[in-house]
Amino acid sequence: MGWKWLSSGFLLGSVFTVHAQPPPQTPLVLRDATIYTVTHGTIETGTIVIQAGKITASGPTDEIEIPADATVEDLSGKVIIPGLVDTHSHLGVSSRPHVPAHADTNEKTGPVQSGLRALDAISPADPGIRMAQAGGITTANIMPGSSNVVGGQTAYVKYRGQTIDDMLIHPTGLDSVQGGMKMANGENPKRAYGSQKKAPATRMAVAALQRQLFVKAQNYQKKWAAYTKAQHKEQDEKEAPAKEPERDLTLEPVVEILRGKRTVHFHTHRADDILTVLRLADEFGFKLVLQHVTEGYKVAKEIARRHIPCSIIVLDSPGGKHEAAQFAFANAAVLEKAGVTVAIHTDDPITDSRFLLRSAALAIRGGMSEEGALKALTIHGAEMLDLQDRIGSIEVGKDADLVVLSGPPFSVYSQVLATYVEGAVVFDRNRPGDTYYATGGFAVAGRYPESEGRTGNASHQPGSRETENRGAAE
Amino acid sequence: MKRILIYCLFSPFFLSQLGFAFGLGTVAVPAWAQKIAVEGHVVHTLSASGPLTDGVVLIADGKITAVGLSAAVQIPDDYQRLCAAVVTPGFIDAHSTVGLSGVYNVAADQDQDEATDPNQAALRVIDGFNPAEPLLNYLLQHGVTVIQTGPGRRNPIAGQAGIFKTAGETVAAMTVRFPSSMLFNLGEIPKKTYAEKKQLPTTRMGTAALIRQALLAAHHYNTQRQDTPPATPADRDLQKEALAQVVRGELPALFTAHRADDILTAIRIANEFGLQLILDAATEGYLIAEAIQKAGVPVLVHPTMQRVSSPETLNTSVENAAILADKDILIAIQSGFESYVPKTRVVLFEAAIAMVNGLGFDRALQAITLDAAKILGLADRVGSLEPGKDADVVLFNGDPFEYTSQVEAVVLNGQVAYRKDAT
Repeated sequence: MGWKWLSSGFLLGSVFTVHAQPPPQTPLVLRDATIYTVTHGTIETGTIVIQAGKITASGPTDEIEIPADATVEDLSGKVIIPGLVDTHSHLGVSSRPHVPAHADTNEKTGPVQSGLRALDAISPADPGIRMAQAGGITTANIMPGSSNVVGGQTAYVKYRGQTIDDMLIHPTGLDSVQGGMKMANGENPKRAYGSQKKAPATRMAVAALQRQLFVKAQNYQKKWAAYTKAQHKEQDEKEAPAKEPERDLTLEPVVEILRGKRTVHFHTHRADDILTVLRLADEFGFKLVLQHVTEGYKVAKEIARRHIPCSIIVLDSPGGKHEAAQFAFANAAVLEKAGVTVAIHTDDPITDSRFLLRSAALAIRGGMSEEGALKALTIHGAEMLDLQDRIGSIEVGKDADLVVLSGPPFSVYSQVLATYVEGAVVFDRNRPGDTYYATGGFAVAGRYPESEGRTGNASHQPGSRETENRGAAE
Repeated sequence: MKRILIYCLFSPFFLSQLGFAFGLGTVAVPAWAQKIAVEGHVVHTLSASGPLTDGVVLIADGKITAVGLSAAVQIPDDYQRLCAAVVTPGFIDAHSTVGLSGVYNVAADQDQDEATDPNQAALRVIDGFNPAEPLLNYLLQHGVTVIQTGPGRRNPIAGQAGIFKTAGETVAAMTVRFPSSMLFNLGEIPKKTYAEKKQLPTTRMGTAALIRQALLAAHHYNTQRQDTPPATPADRDLQKEALAQVVRGELPALFTAHRADDILTAIRIANEFGLQLILDAATEGYLIAEAIQKAGVPVLVHPTMQRVSSPETLNTSVENAAILADKDILIAIQSGFESYVPKTRVVLFEAAIAMVNGLGFDRALQAITLDAAKILGLADRVGSLEPGKDADVVLFNGDPFEYTSQVEAVVLNGQVAYRKDAT
């Protein structure tokens, strides 16, 4: 095999991939909630059984057998949805507060940075991660920024734990990839380098640099194939040993892309930029997720025809740059109607991870179906990260990544009450240390007004606050 | 979710005329549209009458002429009828930069920050306000009919703000009041701006000293100009003239400050010079709510979903508005300034989040209507649905704060300025 160097890292890596927080072993039962399974409809009064971090039973309460030693939580009147999947975030690589000391998203020293790995910069201590848990997000694709045409390798993580190894879904050191590859076109790379009077200063150069990288990777791939072939020949014909090609960390991950093992997450906004991405994908044949896709509604048919999934952002207003000036709430709806698989992401810090459910609700405001909006936060995102067998819906055998809500998922009046990752509570709105990540004020918790009794019946106890829906009297 | 559909429809003639008006991209509304009856299943009047179930708002010549229950208000035959599930007053964004700060975020459309000198008291928003700015129309489509807009965050003394309607052809036609306030900035941004230039202020001390020096100079100027007969009459000076209005207490001093100590610096300076202070942003206000209450000043609270980002906004709480309001501090909600994507926030959305974090429906709606009008000194003209006030009315197909509700139509100055089905 031409990839035998990976085997040397295998044993070493596996030693360091033990998760710090093993899933609780006592069965946990979440009982009598309204359960949005996503893939198998909605259960009005349902119960979920969780064992060793997995969902072992899910269905109408009267059909579920509750294990004798289980911890049972009565969630009547509450709603359970799968843990949210954020297909595009910068948490951890852009830790809060946003000061230069924490700025690790954009290595703006050269436009092609395929060798960089987000996992080498993610700070599990970023308070943003706890805010994301408060927003119900359990899985994320952490990406480098969009200043570079190739920003670096992304990391698929769960929001849990104290170390990057706790967070990574695919451990390092195995013959597997830890995430995708971030690429970008349009204004951002142009601005980052054009302003330095370096390439790329135009969209043409952005595409040329990207094509050049793929061609280099193809050449590199050929070199290794030739070497492997020669090795086999040596064994058969006792020829002089072939010289092993030099490893290249910038090209290895691109070869993984060409081999279909690593997905390209391509930041793109304007309709013609989207089509440029599709043109590159047609040429080099890589697995692709379009990211942001602000003007996707203008080229929905082209996207749908190629079955390319879209991970989109929903913003409060258009603008901030030319390529975002045609933003419309209707984008998700148009893509959905065209048959495109749509996910909705935060791009945190562009939008705050606490408000991801809200982003999908605004897509509904723009015409998306409620069913599609829920899929856009769960199973569709899971598919884009190739994790649909583990997460994204409430099904037996899947990870017990769950969110408990006080009401329907897309109402402003609903709050995230608790978030579970593999059966472990990572956020509980009534837990003193957690509340301030939902409301803000975590760095001044000791001085927060009326903090005493905050989890009891104080007037600022957010979890228990019932805000009557009085806007539209019946 | 309960949804109430519009139960009376526009006539085809009306719709075609609307399409025509939108084609022009302006609010050139023919005479027939100036008499409108807005019927709502729920009408949030924000007046003493409270919300009306099955209410009517009659509009003629740009003003509200009658408000009451359907059963009690006769709709004359020549009135165009607009109907919706929920009707509210037009929303007021108490502090924005839209109109100066354009959607594209390029030098060509950014006129909010004259970061060439830290004292820009002479600058007037009306000299840079772009009535054709697309974001004005975007805000209008979400029910925002009035904005206070002005220079940005980078200068300690940023310049003169104004209050505008969000539709119109010229700045004069859109102006509700100018000048409406003098804008001051404390905290990180001014000192960062001038640190890059190695020029005062590069510290919070420098920012405060610069502002105090300028106010002192304005105070002297005031005295010199007012001497009768003038012993040594001062030459006119536009910068001092503008600040003189502030030290005379005639023009409100709007201080943007996030950190608790910056908020207290604003109060200290206002007390020293007898300013009519309006606190703006006040991110850490909830940590010093009693001090703000004691100072007796109103607060234009930061966008509820303001980014938890820089050190001075790290402690942003979605409960800030509620905690301040609980202390009987008069609050409004502002959209602030956005430097990137998205280019503006919408106070309707921000109030919704404040609502579910302790403010409640009534106070959240007040914060972007009547209370904002009170703080801006416009309660006699906008902020509620009452006879004699400007006919700024928003029609919703459901709860105005619900994420999934939509604005059906917006009436501004008695004219249909937006209609969902016409776009």
